Amino acid sequence: MHTHALSMESKTLPPQAQRAASHRMRHALPWLLLAPALLLVCGVLLVPLGVGVSYAFQSMSMDNLFGEAGFAGLDNFRTLADDPKLGGVLRNTLGWTVYSLVFQCGLGFGLALLLRHSGTGGRRLQALLFLPWAIPSVLIGLVWKMLFSPYTSPLPHWLAYLGVLPQAADILADPDLAMLGPVVANVWFGIPFFTITLLAALQAIPEDLYEASALDGATAVQSFVRITLPLVMPTLLITVLLRSVWIVNFGDLVWIMTQGGPVGATQILPTYLFSTAFTDLNEGYASALAVAQLVLLLVYAATVLRLRRRIMAGRTEEST
Amino acid sequence: MRKIALYGPLLLAGLLGGGLAHAGKLKVVEVITSPERTKLLQTQLAAFQQANPSTTVELITIPWDGAFEKVLVMFKSGQIPDVIEMPERWSALYVKGKQLEPLDPWLKSSKELATLQKSVQEAARFGADKTYQIPYGFYMKALFYNKKLLAQAGVRPPSTQDEFVKAVEAVSTKVPGKYGYCLRGGRGGGFEWLGHSTTYGGTGAFFDKDGNSLYSSAAFQKGMQMVVDFYQKGYAPKESISWGYNEIVTGFYSGTCAMLEQDADALIGIAEKMNSKDFGVVPVPTGPNGKGYPNTGFAGWAMTSASANKDEGWKLIQFLSAAKQNLEWAKVVGVLPIHQGAEADPAFAGEHWAGWFQTLKQSDKYRQLTPPVNLPEWGAMYDKTMVETGQEMLLGKRSVPEVAKQWADTLTAAQRKFTAAH
Repeated sequence: MHTHALSMESKTLPPQAQRAASHRMRHALPWLLLAPALLLVCGVLLVPLGVGVSYAFQSMSMDNLFGEAGFAGLDNFRTLADDPKLGGVLRNTLGWTVYSLVFQCGLGFGLALLLRHSGTGGRRLQALLFLPWAIPSVLIGLVWKMLFSPYTSPLPHWLAYLGVLPQAADILADPDLAMLGPVVANVWFGIPFFTITLLAALQAIPEDLYEASALDGATAVQSFVRITLPLVMPTLLITVLLRSVWIVNFGDLVWIMTQGGPVGATQILPTYLFSTAFTDLNEGYASALAVAQLVLLLVYAATVLRLRRRIMAGRTEEST
Repeated sequence: MRKIALYGPLLLAGLLGGGLAHAGKLKVVEVITSPERTKLLQTQLAAFQQANPSTTVELITIPWDGAFEKVLVMFKSGQIPDVIEMPERWSALYVKGKQLEPLDPWLKSSKELATLQKSVQEAARFGADKTYQIPYGFYMKALFYNKKLLAQAGVRPPSTQDEFVKAVEAVSTKVPGKYGYCLRGGRGGGFEWLGHSTTYGGTGAFFDKDGNSLYSSAAFQKGMQMVVDFYQKGYAPKESISWGYNEIVTGFYSGTCAMLEQDADALIGIAEKMNSKDFGVVPVPTGPNGKGYPNTGFAGWAMTSASANKDEGWKLIQFLSAAKQNLEWAKVVGVLPIHQGAEADPAFAGEHWAGWFQTLKQSDKYRQLTPPVNLPEWGAMYDKTMVETGQEMLLGKRSVPEVAKQWADTLTAAQRKFTAAH
């Protein structure tokens, strides 16, 4: 009945209005087709995120663990501002992220350069190199924890023999060195991701650019700095952005290896957040910490993306 | 085929989730897991189902690492089981949150559980007037010692705290590359700061009669200082600052450290890896007043207040706690059984078990020490504060009196809150 009325109506509409209607339809159609996916994304991503953020404004602690949470206003954020441990945690998070990232990126890039012209054998090697990426973090943490222990592994003994360590001791038990443990494990785990993405970017650079520069008498260093680096930069920046966000959030590896210890030497934001939520049972404050982390990461991501856009814009200017 | 792929998971989800409210269906959660004990539990649950054909039991096994978080999330999201294994340290939170059902109405009239030991019944009440779980056994500390290392150092297994300190020193200084004490400074390391303190304090309590924490007393701090000295003098491995359960047990059976305070459940692992003639178990050392205070923990079966099948739930708890099943359980899990006379079983007659049964038999000399698990704040104190600040003391970053004062202040406040509420 309704559709009939509609078609009657459209028949009687002036041609201009008909055009407008079909124009609207053309614009609405993609959204309609996307609607199920968008609803799903909202349902599984945005709603839980919103709920999580709302916890930061509630008082949810041990005292009302199973009861109703009360509205706390900005109390949790005031706690955050006064938290004497937070400074150390942020410093640790920064150290953990920067060291992991620099070595993953440097070694991953180096490996990609080596593999670039390696032929069939290299392709087999590539599959093998990707292996660490496929191993669950729990297993990585446990294995590296054992590797650092002088009772279960020869590694500390070798390091002591080479004079790297004063004696065959577990670096995870030394507050001054403990952070190196998870960083090494994380570097081992993260290299393949850089290698694979940067290898793809390297292989997309046309060979004739190098040939032309060689004819002009460019050295290997010059062609690396003037051709390779600028052309992989967009990929490199995106990879760095993705990885650094993932590294900050990769608290499970640290938790398994050290639980943030000894004496909080490896306490990073996610492990601190986890123990605040599940040992102190202060979920309100844990959510405030999570919100703070989210804001920091958003600012960081915006900065990197801006940098990338500027580089891309600079390049188009150069080429025109 | 495609239909199965499509509807199979849906059907499974329906079966798992939808059937909960039906009468006769029990969801049981196990949290302290090992392959052997899960197998035994499955056998016992099957026997229960055979005896009660109208009830079906679904077992959910959650590995101990991370179990606390997972169970908490289950409860908070409304996926509440009917019967749950409840470690004593969790109980205060769940009791306070009114998540557990008092079992007294059923327990009073239960013939099967009439032979429960008195200490079991007391423990089950958590210092309050209601019974919130039926413990399935006690985890009690005794002292494991390495016979070879002690012989090399020329000392006998210690029976007093002074002998213990001397033995630790002797092994560490006379046997090259070996340590006297297996210290637990990492996960679960709160343990180091309980028993040694109460032994010097000559009490099984953690508060004086006015509710003040005894950590402010010189005697308690002496116990703490002893552990700190062990570490700083090199009587325990440098790594032990981050050792958890697995590491201390490995340290002991690999012969790295000579003495270890542990529960009977460690006996199973150690007996597998070590020649049974090479190690012994004695009661924990006694303090200046001639008494020893073995740290005693327990876990048991509890029923949730949200359960829709409480009578069936009780039947199951009663079945698992009955003398026959409990004895099987105690042997596999490595806990001390809960019924009177169970220690007469030949399985507990061996040399190693004597360490615990001597403790139990001399109940005047060895007083069980139960940490203040009735305080909701205890979990964070034991699992976090004591580990972090304990490491600070071991490394000499903070002094024992300074940290002891912090603990005393926190615990006294928590105790006051508890007393005011009860």
